Amino acid sequence: MTDRILITGATSGIGNALTKRIAHDNDVLVTGSRSAELVSPDLPAGVRYVQADQTRPEEAVDLIDGALESSGWSGLDLAVLNAGIGFACEPHAETPDTIHQTLDVNLMASMLLARSLSGRLEAAGGKLVLIGSVAHRGASGFATYAASKAGLHGFARALREEWRNRIRVQIIHPGPTATPMHARAGFDPGRIGRLFLKPETMAAMVHRAIRADKSPVTVSFGRYILSGAFAGRRL
Amino acid sequence: MTGTALVTGGASGLGQALVRQLLAKDMHVVCVDLVPPDTHANLIFIKCDLADRRAVNIGWSAILAAGPYDLVVLNAGVSATGQFESIPAEVYRRLITLNTETPIRMASGLMREAALRSGAQLVFVSSLSHFTGYPGAAVYAASKDALAVYAKSIRAAFRNRGVSVISMYPGPLRTPHAERHAPAGANASRRMQPNEAALILLAGTIAGDKVIIPGIPAKLTALAGRLFPATVTRWMRREIFQKLDRSVF
Repeated sequence: MTDRILITGATSGIGNALTKRIAHDNDVLVTGSRSAELVSPDLPAGVRYVQADQTRPEEAVDLIDGALESSGWSGLDLAVLNAGIGFACEPHAETPDTIHQTLDVNLMASMLLARSLSGRLEAAGGKLVLIGSVAHRGASGFATYAASKAGLHGFARALREEWRNRIRVQIIHPGPTATPMHARAGFDPGRIGRLFLKPETMAAMVHRAIRADKSPVTVSFGRYILSGAFAGRRL
Repeated sequence: MTGTALVTGGASGLGQALVRQLLAKDMHVVCVDLVPPDTHANLIFIKCDLADRRAVNIGWSAILAAGPYDLVVLNAGVSATGQFESIPAEVYRRLITLNTETPIRMASGLMREAALRSGAQLVFVSSLSHFTGYPGAAVYAASKDALAVYAKSIRAAFRNRGVSVISMYPGPLRTPHAERHAPAGANASRRMQPNEAALILLAGTIAGDKVIIPGIPAKLTALAGRLFPATVTRWMRREIFQKLDRSVF
């Protein structure tokens, strides 16, 4: 069956890998902050793209609403709110600007999108998936990032219960993944970075977690080992 | 106690009780709020809407100028209760700015600008909902979880610079604010008096506590939430969300 799926932050990293994984048998609309000409080589054919910069959450919500409206999607089967941003530095070196951006993209935009998508999700019996991070328990070099993901965790915990029997809500916390976010965040993982999972591997595990519906759920090395993927089992 | 304290949201509730107790201990107090607290010779009032980014930008220099501080209590906060999607986006924007973004900016900025004296204490007022989940106040819950984990994340880095970070997780207090957000038929006498919570907070700062959960019922609730997170959140839904007869923001 073809599902109508929205994925935010789909032009790189886990969001992009997830889009490539599910695009061929679903109707997919994705968002990113860059212009359509710049991102189109990275997106599979048939995927609709809307440029919506989530550092301005209110505008992004309007743009995404408009795109869903003009696509004629009165219902939405799955929304994966994955867009994220981070800055690695000592807490006192974070500026008002980096704090605003981190909270706007990771927390505010996801909450306002959840709010604006609720009608479409309910109409289709759909599901809201929030992409958190293992950092939601705290991270000294990414304090505001960790805070934003903790906020998302608490939001999902409350909303999953509030929307029970109406709209399914799930939060998935990916572990370290080799995405461009680390470089953009100014973080060099050094040699440990070689252990980071590939975005394609992480996307496969996230996809599996979405189908299993457990929340909250952490997808990281441990799950990778347990899944048997290292021994060639298909994720 | 001596020195200068900074209290946000000092005009009502827990903040008001704290300001009074600190003044009674001869501390100098700087209070940031929208409305002035009762006047006092050792009190400086800075009027600032901490729920508005631009107002915080403007008020920041006055907050810095009134320092450096020996004690900072980032206490200002609001709730928004009701069906999540029925509450306007602007309300959520102000809530997240007040409860999460401004305290983070202030903590980071006070450290960067050397406005915290060596040995200073920095208190973040989170919420007991960090342990229980809070259906019917999903954005409030998010804001307080974010603050709790921010405090945890900066603790080591701040300690290395001579500042201790304290997280406080109060349950419902007997304040006009809590009254407005409580579900119909809730028993107000079970809520702790703000004065009592303020006393516990000050005792905790003297004892060097890192985590303060005021009162036995709150401590037990936090423990239950840690042991059985899903069950306790389900219970919160039944006890609070299902009894809410209106949205309040």
